[in-house]
Amino acid sequence: MVGMSGAILQGVPATTTDTDIWVDLPERQYVRLLNLVVKQGGTPMARTMYALSDGSLVNFIFSMTGLKKFAEEYAQSRELLWNGFKIRVLPLERIYKSKHDSAREKDIAHLPLLMRVIRGHRFAGTTGGPRKTQQRKTK
Amino acid sequence: MKTSLKDWRQVHRKLKKMRGLSEEERIQLARSLAATPDERWQMHENFLHSHGLFSHWERKAYGFKW
Repeated sequence: MVGMSGAILQGVPATTTDTDIWVDLPERQYVRLLNLVVKQGGTPMARTMYALSDGSLVNFIFSMTGLKKFAEEYAQSRELLWNGFKIRVLPLERIYKSKHDSAREKDIAHLPLLMRVIRGHRFAGTTGGPRKTQQRKTK
Repeated sequence: MKTSLKDWRQVHRKLKKMRGLSEEERIQLARSLAATPDERWQMHENFLHSHGLFSHWERKAYGFKW
């Protein structure tokens, strides 16, 4: 999970209207995702965006601005327990980097808040700060 | 440090020295940092529900593009 949904799960007090999921697929294979979502009762809104049966929106991302390849970022991602599932979330620092490099107006607007939470985690020593994989390496 | 929403006061104390925050912002940040991912998401969804903006269809009726 990437974007502001991933940021919210790591403690950023913000809202978003869609959940961005980075998938390790070439964009030309978007039909595979479409079939998967439709089978679950979702409705296509655009080629990569779907309304799920509860009305929430999911946006599949095929490439992320400013980041390394999927596999490299995945290896550094944080594992979180969410709704009973183990999920992988892009660390806040990497979400910051991607938003910074994409430089869209709405992304730039999020940067101060993201930085505040990154600093806050460091101050408070709460989870969401250092990446889990890095913590393992230092043991 | 693993925390949950009920531990927000403990986190709030640790944020006392963090500059550039008003007291209201410090409390909001402490709650958000202390919460578990499930609690954080629940707060987010509660906010959207409270404004009638949770579902795509509600937002469209409100005038949002998506």
